[in-house]
Amino acid sequence: MTRLSLLLVVFAALALVPLVVTSEFWLNVCVLTLFSALIGQAWNILGGYAGQFSFGHALFFGVGAYTVAALQVRLGVNPWIGLVLGGALGAAVAVAVGWLTFRYGLRGSYFALVTLAFAEVFRILANSIPWLGAGEGMMIKLAAGPGMLQFKNLANYYWLLLAMTLACFLAVWWLDRSRLGARMLAVRDNEDAAAAIGVDAFAVKLQAMALSGLFMGLAGVFYAQRYLYLDPGLAFGPTESVEALLVAIVGGIGSLFGPLLGAIVLHALSEAAQAALGGLPGANMVIYGTVLVLMVLFLPRGLASLFRQRPQPVEPPDA
Amino acid sequence: MTRALKGGLDRRTFLAGTAAITGALAAPGLLRAAPAPVKIGLIHPVTGALSYSGAQCRAGGQMAIDDINAAGGITSLGGAQIEAILGDSLSKPDVGASETAKAVEAGAAGIVAGYASAITLATAQEAAKTNTPHIVDVGVTDGIIALGLKNVFRFSPGYGKIAQDAVTALDEINKAAGAPAKTVVIVHEDSAFGTGTAKLLATELPKHGFEILKVIAHPTPTRDFTNIALQVKAANPDIIIPANYYNEYVLFARTIQQQQIKPKAIYSVLGGAASSYKFVKEFPEAAEGVMDTNHWFNPLSPLAQARKAATEAKGLFYTYEVYLTYNAVALLADAIERAGSTDKDKVIAALNSSTWDKHGMPYGPTQFVNGQNTGAQAVNTQVLGGKIEVIRPAEFASAKVKFPLA
Repeated sequence: MTRLSLLLVVFAALALVPLVVTSEFWLNVCVLTLFSALIGQAWNILGGYAGQFSFGHALFFGVGAYTVAALQVRLGVNPWIGLVLGGALGAAVAVAVGWLTFRYGLRGSYFALVTLAFAEVFRILANSIPWLGAGEGMMIKLAAGPGMLQFKNLANYYWLLLAMTLACFLAVWWLDRSRLGARMLAVRDNEDAAAAIGVDAFAVKLQAMALSGLFMGLAGVFYAQRYLYLDPGLAFGPTESVEALLVAIVGGIGSLFGPLLGAIVLHALSEAAQAALGGLPGANMVIYGTVLVLMVLFLPRGLASLFRQRPQPVEPPDA
Repeated sequence: MTRALKGGLDRRTFLAGTAAITGALAAPGLLRAAPAPVKIGLIHPVTGALSYSGAQCRAGGQMAIDDINAAGGITSLGGAQIEAILGDSLSKPDVGASETAKAVEAGAAGIVAGYASAITLATAQEAAKTNTPHIVDVGVTDGIIALGLKNVFRFSPGYGKIAQDAVTALDEINKAAGAPAKTVVIVHEDSAFGTGTAKLLATELPKHGFEILKVIAHPTPTRDFTNIALQVKAANPDIIIPANYYNEYVLFARTIQQQQIKPKAIYSVLGGAASSYKFVKEFPEAAEGVMDTNHWFNPLSPLAQARKAATEAKGLFYTYEVYLTYNAVALLADAIERAGSTDKDKVIAALNSSTWDKHGMPYGPTQFVNGQNTGAQAVNTQVLGGKIEVIRPAEFASAKVKFPLA
């Protein structure tokens, strides 16, 4: 089975989940898991494929969320248009941040810190600009109906999110077999060597930023429409940044299915820990953290590495 | 050797048969004595950034359940005991919604949630999907009620009313003392709570003749207030209004003391520490004289005093989280009691017609309009002689206001 076939089969199976899962709670857990997979994969495009570790991906998430919210609340723009613009602005801001950082040759931990700082700058801006609700945040009016990108039925939110996630995974599948993807891997593995063979590392990294920002922006739009309330801390705080990179690292960075695996395992672990020790506040988080440390220690390449075929040892030629 | 009874029954068989028949006859009575428990979901942020407040909320809710059960449970349901379904929102709205769905599916007749406004917005909307009665324990943003959800009820006052009452109270306290205070500096944290407070006060206070000299924002956390205190000192206001969370409030109040800034009043709206026993106990000098407009119990109510004593006996402070969640659970239980059912429509109807008054709060009987208890109000407190006293409204006051301080 090809990777595309496998991907489509997995997502076709995921599309059936709301028809099988009748529990609102478990469907909600599935929504949260898919959401993690989406932001994990968005981070994976930049961190796993292009090798640029970002600690501030909440920036693009927040831009998407605030775009759909502000357009709706302040200008009465339909959220479906906000969906498109949220993704586009997420990508645009990502390109702008990339342009400002990569042109000065920032890499590694410096790039990570700068992305963290940009997210913080946007949090402070959102805190200060009255048009964006300032510190009070923004509340989207409850108007359930597909026309307003709000649904009474959780299954519809699930399918909307599934469509976004599938688009993101298809983009990564395409990267795996495209020239752009190959260039990203070259930049990730050795930027100087890649430049030496004619790869425009700056342009490649900007394209990775754009693609990653686009899907984080879409995730932000989804969050805003699902919970109908945003404040600067929720949108630009560290929570989404940490979740995005955690899912990708646990699942396996630079792999197509890694973020999905990471999201499933992390949410299953979280729910199991909560079910076992929910009555003892904080204990579930201790268990969760311990297992996480063990996983990173013993599976440094993530869960996806369990499914990778090891290269067969080459038989030495007969003497 | 077993001695046989007349008719061929031996003693052992006779005793076993008698026990079985007695048990069978008693069984319906036993079943009647143990009706199905009534489940209530308590969804609070017991881990994460809001864990202290969430744990206090949970403690208050569980105390209410214990008291109701000890008093015979829901009598209209044959003495059904209340059972808590505990949910941890991890201080995140999306998890709060998920935990609400979980509690509803586990059979919760009602939900009490969610401490923070952002979390409450999510839990309320989730509960609305199944028309499950949802009592807001603490969330103050008026957006919760503005959602217009038929299943959502808030026992405590909303932010708009608290802030308006705070402005009116400050004006009246000032005028009663001959209007010695004319200038104000507002120091606020820069998220929803602090920004909203500052905006409202900066708009409303000038209408009452106060001049706003400075509005200073700071992030949370802030660990050094020296520069801010120096700015305040330079402005030399008559009244300082801090609007920030507990740690920042304490640090700011201590810095004001260190810098020997002596305003005529330190006056807060939902002050993070201004009505906190912990603050008063640990920093009595910094706390002395501080005024606040906040949730508070009725100090003249024996019921409130008894609950306060019971809370303190457990080693907990009787904070607003405890008594507001206690009352939210008790209010829901009262509605189930009067409805005589856990049918959601009937419980919601019972809440809409609620005139419950066993809350020990300065509210009067409950009266809900569009989900808001219209009788709910904040009161003014002041730290006097190391104690938190209610100074306003007069009918609930335990002490007289001390103003101006300097």
